[in-house]
Amino acid sequence: MAPIHMPSALSFELIAKCSVTKARAANLRLPHGEVPLPIFMPVATQASLKGLTPEQLEDTGCRLCLNNTYHLGLKPGQTTLDAIGGAHKLQSWPYNILTERSFQMVSLLKLSKVTEEGVRFLSPHDGSPMLLTPEHSISLQNSIGSDIIMQLDDVIATTSPDHARIEEAMKRSVRWLDRCIAAHKKPEIQNLFCIIQGGLDLELRRQCCAEMVARDTPGIAIGGLSGGEAKDAYCKVVDTCTGLLPEKKPRYVMGVGYPEDLVVSIALGADMFDCVWPTRTARFGNAITSSGTLNLRHSSYASDFSPVEEGCPCVCCRPPEQGGLGITRAYIYHVAAKETAGAHLLSMHNVHYLLTLMKSARTAIVEDRYPAFVKGFFAKLYPERSKYPEWAVTALKGVGVDLLVN
Amino acid sequence: MADNLTLGLSQLPDEMLTFTLLKASEGLTPRLGKLAFPGRSTIQTPHYIGNASRGVIPHLSQDLFRKHTNIDAIYVPLEDFVEKAPQHTPPVYELDLPDAESPLRRFIALKQDAFLIMGARRTPPIAAPAANTNGAISILTSVGFRHLASSDYVAAAQKLRPDIVVGLGDIVYKQQAKPSNKRVAKMADRTEAWTKDIVDGKSGLDKTTRDGPRYSIFASVLPISSELQSSYVDELADELRDQLSGLAIYDPSSLTDLPQALTPLPRLSFSEPSSPRQLLHELSLGTDLLTIPFINAATDAGIALDFIFPPANASSSTRRPLGVDMWSSTHATDLSPLSSGCGCYACKRHHRAYLQHLLAAKEMLGWTLLQVHNHAVMDQFFAGVRASIGKDKFEEDRVAFEAVYEAELPERTGQGPRQVCVIVNGVRGYQFKSEGPGEAKKNASAYRMLDERKELLAEASTPSSGTDAKDLENIGFAEVVERQ
Repeated sequence: MAPIHMPSALSFELIAKCSVTKARAANLRLPHGEVPLPIFMPVATQASLKGLTPEQLEDTGCRLCLNNTYHLGLKPGQTTLDAIGGAHKLQSWPYNILTERSFQMVSLLKLSKVTEEGVRFLSPHDGSPMLLTPEHSISLQNSIGSDIIMQLDDVIATTSPDHARIEEAMKRSVRWLDRCIAAHKKPEIQNLFCIIQGGLDLELRRQCCAEMVARDTPGIAIGGLSGGEAKDAYCKVVDTCTGLLPEKKPRYVMGVGYPEDLVVSIALGADMFDCVWPTRTARFGNAITSSGTLNLRHSSYASDFSPVEEGCPCVCCRPPEQGGLGITRAYIYHVAAKETAGAHLLSMHNVHYLLTLMKSARTAIVEDRYPAFVKGFFAKLYPERSKYPEWAVTALKGVGVDLLVN
Repeated sequence: MADNLTLGLSQLPDEMLTFTLLKASEGLTPRLGKLAFPGRSTIQTPHYIGNASRGVIPHLSQDLFRKHTNIDAIYVPLEDFVEKAPQHTPPVYELDLPDAESPLRRFIALKQDAFLIMGARRTPPIAAPAANTNGAISILTSVGFRHLASSDYVAAAQKLRPDIVVGLGDIVYKQQAKPSNKRVAKMADRTEAWTKDIVDGKSGLDKTTRDGPRYSIFASVLPISSELQSSYVDELADELRDQLSGLAIYDPSSLTDLPQALTPLPRLSFSEPSSPRQLLHELSLGTDLLTIPFINAATDAGIALDFIFPPANASSSTRRPLGVDMWSSTHATDLSPLSSGCGCYACKRHHRAYLQHLLAAKEMLGWTLLQVHNHAVMDQFFAGVRASIGKDKFEEDRVAFEAVYEAELPERTGQGPRQVCVIVNGVRGYQFKSEGPGEAKKNASAYRMLDERKELLAEASTPSSGTDAKDLENIGFAEVVERQ
């Protein structure tokens, strides 16, 4: 297929590149304001970030969050979204929204089957057969009005042993991208991102990159990862793809959210990430800190009157003397899983932690000291170097950072 | 008595809780007052008290409480904090702070200017199977029923330093069977002894710390007739009077025949009015402060309260509902506020369509926004009540209110939050008592797990039953394929 030009509703300004790794810092201007890259995007699946008000989300520093196309398509539904005027109006969120593609959820449904036409599945309600097509997916995202929309793709678990099926899925995703581009009614206000597929096969990934880059979408996602594959393989795929992607476009790795994954992926040249983990884990009483994740439901925290993370400037941790709430680990222990407010407090902390981590990473890139930042990050997270995860050491060595050397 | 030694100190004006009656007449009539304490916001009464669970107003994290509510006093039950006491020291007791600060206030991150009122039991309480004893009451912590000794309660008040402590009472709650005559005879004696304990404990506190603010005592008046507790009430009016800062009542009728000496004291009610109408009745008898469990119950039921006092003139012949059921799909595309003219955060920033979506999607934020709104409605309601009393129009306005609004709140139609935090029949989630093996699950399972991507799936609910594929098609999600 001949390269086509696609209108874009974003501008991407690269402001710094790490002189050692592939890390980059950029400004991404979207229809609802500018966001700094690299960025972590919290997931407000059903137009709400798990109990937080849009105002609280704003206060964590978030300016770009995710909604799920599939969920909004079911509730409140396309007709309602059209009547209300889209998801920004629905949730009174004046900033940017990215809508996760719907396929991933559909693939969960029983007896789903992917055909060239679309995804056939049985209705979760009454078992009647239904069909979801790339055109449906785009139409729904046009109704949602999100600033970044995702193509419908054919996702196969990266761990699938069926190579032929993986190749078929990759090629079909390319064909579906064309259908999505053709169906996209609002390219001047919504940015369609393609999704690179190809499982863990680097050759397939290369082919997919070439095909999709030629379609010139405003941004590019690397999909099909974070589904249980080995971290080494994950890193190789990200590294390979970013090597082939144009420098002047945002690169989004879908479904990634553990702090160490973010830090390594940034070094491999990725810019955008999303994950439900920080808010989901908060509901189970888990706090993300620079020295690891703490399960505050453990009785050892019952009388621990230190903040969730010492020195953290989030509203939850900041001491009362500095205008914060001064919430202690002991108090989270007291309310976790008993009052929803406990989850809300930890969600604010966890989201704030990841956004702040991204901010520090960005500053380090701008000041060209990202390798030192990465080393400092791992040194804090793991008490001993021998505990460093091997995949991270290997992946970082590949981009010129040896974690085991000062 | 030893108490007399501390009398002088407790009367220092800058340290004292003061209640000033601004308007009151003889007998059982509505009254106006103000409750003041150095460092706290002055509360104009009548007013409501926020009803906390484990230190928070349910669904409202402390930042929202500060930013989007006007609640200036909260009621915190000790039973939320003493899970395994006395075998294990409750964690909050181990929080050491410089002299005057209240560890309880710090622990629950309550803002400095809000009154902190501590009692023993939640309101409404769960009736405990074991009876109270002469030295202890039955309570329910998150790990089970146990006894709280009066001496331990005094120690808790000394340690936790709330602004106001509600004295223990040998209360037989509404939910329980009527007390026998034998029990009634004991109730007043026990309550008198426990009230003396907390009074003595207050002076005892002075020996350990000087100058710090000390708790003020609201003595419990039993929900039985005044003849049956006359010697206790006389004791309150006489010997104990100078040590008391207020009264706690559990039934508005106990205000009848109270000795004159107790009239100037503020009255805090735990009578659980089920509707604004009952609330107005209680205010008409001269109640000053109230905990109002129906606010939270309405929130959990998905109901946005919608009434004002005095009511706008009755324009229609049918009575207006007291709230709007936000579960109703009639709101699906309604971009208007929950109630017109409401200035709360939920009404200013959001709309009915979002609320309806959040409830239908079982998103926690739905209950958060309702809680903000419902408390704002009560703020307005009480402001109206005070203005009305000030203008001597309360009775007239009350009659008008009853003519304009329905008697009870709307029935709940939707489901509440998952029962980790829901009230069902007045029972809080973790306070459900198992009735034996083979019980049905309290929460319907929201999702059927399939083999892969469980995490993503668990992140949000899959569609509920009750609609068919045509509906999915109608909302534009996908299309139905004809069976071949």
